[in-house]
Amino acid sequence: MSPPETRYATTVTAVGEQVPEFAGQGLLIWFAEGAPEELHFFAILHRPTVTTGGVRAGDVVRIDDKAFRVTAVGEVANDNMVNLGHMDLKANGATEAPLPGDICLEELPLPEPRPGSELVIEGVAVAADPHR
Amino acid sequence: MAEYKAVRVEAGRGGWGGPLTIKPSDDRKLIYSVTGGGIHPVAQRIAELTGGEAFDGFKSSAPFDKIAVAVIDCGGTARVGVYPMKKVPTVDVHATSPAGPLAMFIKEDIFVSGVSPENVKEA
Repeated sequence: MSPPETRYATTVTAVGEQVPEFAGQGLLIWFAEGAPEELHFFAILHRPTVTTGGVRAGDVVRIDDKAFRVTAVGEVANDNMVNLGHMDLKANGATEAPLPGDICLEELPLPEPRPGSELVIEGVAVAADPHR
Repeated sequence: MAEYKAVRVEAGRGGWGGPLTIKPSDDRKLIYSVTGGGIHPVAQRIAELTGGEAFDGFKSSAPFDKIAVAVIDCGGTARVGVYPMKKVPTVDVHATSPAGPLAMFIKEDIFVSGVSPENVKEA
């Protein structure tokens, strides 16, 4: 077994007023600091430290002490994450992403991140599986 | 006083909504690109054809009442609804349909998606 690869890591700097409501609906919207102000009200703003990308189904998203398995990744989700620090995390358990920006997670209650909260996305190294 | 021309923006393959007619004015002249990697080619083309001013929303901010059109590369949840909610005509370069928590604001007369530069034509 290879050790997990960190695909993304970031620290929350601010949380918009609509975030608790969206979290209750299984949705967390993330944007890197510097996103236009009109996006702040529903977004978790953050300052990334690792922006490698390449998130795919089977990876694990950790938000502080909670862990969620990734079940599906939309076709533009990695570009948005790497370029803009933008993620739409949806705890819907979908095995095919309904929307191109989605990062779908197993269907568990989402936490409400706070300033200082940490998100890490870990993936298993590709070389570990010769069938990929 | 600058001279501005109108363009017609149609939905591209798999896209939804529109067509939109965009014509900047001295008050609303910004072609506002809220996209990864700077000004998107769709925003660049709209600016060139209309005489509007291409503007990178991730570099600096602008008030909504100065924006002629917002160009986004939204994956379907967040940005798709914000600009229509503020009554700003919105062009998504990805082929999205109304969805997400702000879906109720996304209508054909203010939103068009799946747009490539060739879907932007002189009106």
